[in-house]
Amino acid sequence: MGELFNEVLMFLGTLMIVVGAIADLIGSIGLLRFPNFFVRLHAATVGTIWGAFLPLIGAALFAAGYVELGMYRWFVAGGAVVTASLILLLGPVGSHALARASYRSRAAVPHPLIHDALQEKLREGEKK
Amino acid sequence: MRIKKFLVLSSLIILVLTLSLAFTKGALGHYPLPLPGVRLLASWYLFTTLNPQYPVFTAMSPEAVTAIVWDYRGLDTLFETAVFFLAIVGALALMRGISLKSALNNASNRVGDGGLSLICKTAARLLTPLIIVVSASIALHGHLTPGGGFQGGSAAAVAPLLVLVIFSVYFLLSKGVSEKPMLILRTVGLVGIYLTALAAVLIGLFTGLNAYVFQNQPKPDAPLGLPAQISGALISGSLLFFNVFEYLAVAGGFTLVFILLSIPEEVVKSFIGGETHE
Repeated sequence: MGELFNEVLMFLGTLMIVVGAIADLIGSIGLLRFPNFFVRLHAATVGTIWGAFLPLIGAALFAAGYVELGMYRWFVAGGAVVTASLILLLGPVGSHALARASYRSRAAVPHPLIHDALQEKLREGEKK
Repeated sequence: MRIKKFLVLSSLIILVLTLSLAFTKGALGHYPLPLPGVRLLASWYLFTTLNPQYPVFTAMSPEAVTAIVWDYRGLDTLFETAVFFLAIVGALALMRGISLKSALNNASNRVGDGGLSLICKTAARLLTPLIIVVSASIALHGHLTPGGGFQGGSAAAVAPLLVLVIFSVYFLLSKGVSEKPMLILRTVGLVGIYLTALAAVLIGLFTGLNAYVFQNQPKPDAPLGLPAQISGALISGSLLFFNVFEYLAVAGGFTLVFILLSIPEEVVKSFIGGETHE
């Protein structure tokens, strides 16, 4: 029973790592092909959450199921979970800071623009 | 333009091919490795770094890098530390007499204002204590695992830098992290490093026994030495003290330089402007 459980853990971990690799590929294609800064930033965050957070959780599951490592597998798994939670916390904060700074300083031009809800809100704030 | 590209590409390819031919024909000796004599030195360090059966040579630390940095070549590291402190003394001398205290009192520089958004500030509030804890563990474990005083101190200086960027330099000053406490921290660290280097000699002066500067473990002609372990926990003699004091000194020094670098230009000009010509 325990052996089957470890097998399932390792399979889930490998699956997460593979999904993460595919997400990294998609994110890097988007980074090259998207037209302006804000959508390119979106592609980059695909690479941080799907391409870094998920594979780290997968590595933690894999290490937890890999009995040959002995006690050390819990060190590996714990380190991976801590790193993953830090990325989950800090990746969005970093992209938020980048997007906010470039929007407010008008450093990046949102060229193929369909709708800018934030601009309307800012104008309403100025009128008040 | 096409010829230029071709020339660049072909010269790079020729360079790679020539270098690989030279290496395969033995231009750097038969192996692209350090000479056998140098490798002997490395294996000697690995053999003696934690070896209680050779008390004459051992540094009693499983982490060979820290053992080399603070024991085998301790004097070298002391002078490196001195160079770092001279650089900070230079920064202090350039900024002498300039203080942010007066700008802090101005109504326009209220502490709560400015800085990045609330999201960034919340993340920084969560992260800053974590950085301090991790850096302290790097320094306190420096004699057991990779790391050490300088590495831990540099990591600790990231925390005030983060506050400085995300909040403001005035917020940092209002929390008590200003020039003077950092200067005191840096000086305490430096005095601690010198006292640790002289610890065995100072004990030897009072007991009349032979001792050396930078002595860590007892030697045949100098029976004094710092204890390798305290109640079973390995502290590697002087290495733990060196790491702790270097941690304090480097964290204080870097924070001091970051504060000095973030003084706005107008404040500096208001101090060094002198009299205006009419």
